[in-house]
Amino acid sequence: MKRMKRLMLSAGLVLGMSQGLLAKDTGLIFVSLERGNQVVVLNPDLTVNKKIDTSRRPRDLHFNKDHTLLYVACGDDDSIDVIDVATLEVVDSIPTGPSPEIFAFSADETQIYVSNEEDSVMEMIDIASKTVVQRVPTGAEPEGVINSADGKLIFVTSEVADMVHVIDREKAAVIKNIVVGTRPRRFVVTPDGAELWVSDELSSEVHVIDIASLTIKDDLTFVPPGFRPEDVTPVGMTITKDGSKILISLGRANHVAIIDAKSRKVLQYVLVGSRAWDVDLTSDEKTGYVANGLSDDITQIDMTTMTAVQSVAVGRTPHSIKVDD
Amino acid sequence: MRLIFALLLVATPSVADEVRIGHLSLKQDPRYVQDWGYARLITPPPVVTADAARMAVTDLQFTADAVGLTVTLDAQAATAGDLVATAQAMVAGGDSYLVLDLPGAQVKQVADALQGQPVLMVNATAPDDSLRTACYRDMVHSGPSDRQLMDAMGQYLRAMNWEKVLLLTGDQPEDAQLADAFALSAERLRLTVQDRRAFTLAADPRNREGNNIRLLTGDVDYDVVFVADTRGEFGRYIPYATQLPRPIIGSVGLTAGSWHWAYERDGATQVSSRFDKLTGRKMQPADWDVWIGVKSLVTGAIKVPQADPVKVRAFLTSGDMKLDGSKGVTLNYRAWDGQMRQPILLGTADAVIAVAPVAGFSHQTNDLDSLGTDEAEFHCN
Repeated sequence: MKRMKRLMLSAGLVLGMSQGLLAKDTGLIFVSLERGNQVVVLNPDLTVNKKIDTSRRPRDLHFNKDHTLLYVACGDDDSIDVIDVATLEVVDSIPTGPSPEIFAFSADETQIYVSNEEDSVMEMIDIASKTVVQRVPTGAEPEGVINSADGKLIFVTSEVADMVHVIDREKAAVIKNIVVGTRPRRFVVTPDGAELWVSDELSSEVHVIDIASLTIKDDLTFVPPGFRPEDVTPVGMTITKDGSKILISLGRANHVAIIDAKSRKVLQYVLVGSRAWDVDLTSDEKTGYVANGLSDDITQIDMTTMTAVQSVAVGRTPHSIKVDD
Repeated sequence: MRLIFALLLVATPSVADEVRIGHLSLKQDPRYVQDWGYARLITPPPVVTADAARMAVTDLQFTADAVGLTVTLDAQAATAGDLVATAQAMVAGGDSYLVLDLPGAQVKQVADALQGQPVLMVNATAPDDSLRTACYRDMVHSGPSDRQLMDAMGQYLRAMNWEKVLLLTGDQPEDAQLADAFALSAERLRLTVQDRRAFTLAADPRNREGNNIRLLTGDVDYDVVFVADTRGEFGRYIPYATQLPRPIIGSVGLTAGSWHWAYERDGATQVSSRFDKLTGRKMQPADWDVWIGVKSLVTGAIKVPQADPVKVRAFLTSGDMKLDGSKGVTLNYRAWDGQMRQPILLGTADAVIAVAPVAGFSHQTNDLDSLGTDEAEFHCN
């Protein structure tokens, strides 16, 4: 609670605190519009609740643990904006290095790890003081950032170097490089903390890394019927809480693959919009959402029947999507 | 004038391995000397593609380090007279790879002189299809051929339903070569070349049909004017000056290229801005051609341990290579002509209008093969 309070103070939210705590589980859907300079907020029925103006080129989105604040990395203004989930206003902004794209919180939520794709650096930023604590050099165009379950390791992809950097949090240094496929993008860590999944956009692969040994365990490809492997450009991924299913967006193949995480088998390919990227699930895991970057819409997926329900226009170049519930 | 960028290992190498990549360009390359046009109207910063080669090596340094590979770049510029001797000295000095940023005639000279030597050459910037049909066994082509560029243009015209084309050409051999390539693409895509007319720069009043743009573009019906003017001598005077109000394409107006600094999808912005930061100028197609050429070689050397040039060439053309050129798809080289498969960007001075293969143009094995000479129609000369 003390930590929480400091966070809120740092965000200038002394009055908003009680509101913030009441804002849990709103069911709202947040979509960042890379070329719209907005985060669109949709009601659970997919009507527009609000369009929040942000700094330019908003991309990756993450809630804090309490879901009182939503952080959004804004690539063209070199900042991470902070949105109060209760009031749906931008209440703060944290400066970063050039062109922040994807970020993650440290396990204790005191730091942000953010990839600066134009500087080839992963920055560790202290949230309270808004200062850069460490800068870890990476291969060119760093993108995906995620923590190991114990918080001791940070994984970062380099899109150009075709590798996953393993960074030791204490040392703030790369301790291992794992070469994966072409243009690695995003991650998920399985809930048991054992596996790290990496999407390789251009080589149409998903690599599964064993976190204990930091070695590649599996190299998977998912090609919907009627497509060629080169049409498949996997990017966004999310996993169910029990670790049984993984959703992977297949980019140019305009499908989301729903995978049995244990057997690696495809349960279903769901046709969605053009260049499907970020995916997220509601907390009851009955509904999935995918942001379609080139058709300027999002698609709602019924996870029980594994079919697309509807697509809704949201604005220019949706990048990331997060559900608050 | 010898620049060497040695990138030392950070990690302890598992296998000690080294490749030396030479970059050879022509001093006063006429393709990059654009200040000899009338009154020096256009004087862009000179294209020095060695910068692009250096960027490629830096981009892949992490990956090379991970497998214990040292990459050394040896960038040299020679006069036309010294070119062959310089190339031979580079190979004798240990460059097992040569990236050539040379006009077509000079590429041929160097390729002929180095035949049988232990070297793999990358023709980066000469678009001549005759270099592809020459079938050099120790060469691949990273920049697009004229046919790839013109097929891209043709697909766009077909998609727009601009079927009737008036073809204007200058008096350089490269102009005729470009016009010929366009005519072949027009035939493939069922476009009609209404007429092919030569433009002359001199103001001789007895040749008014050749130097007056209204007359040159009159007395014929067309949807679009294709201008083949590779040296930028007259093309810039054609837009807004034609008898019929029609768009201009080819060497001016809408142009086809391997790269455009304004391309913003597929991570292209990051490549362009890295280049801008490194050189202080905008990345040109020739820069991309060299960058991807060097990237191909380093990637080949990484994927084929203890590489020799023959094995690396086999890998580049095997279909196993999945190279990222920030154009949205993986790139590799065609087995039959050593040409890199790649999307082509159609752009104006400051925007990308379309990317080929244009939606709807498919191919039975790889849609990128809808651009350029396909396997079935390809013959070595």
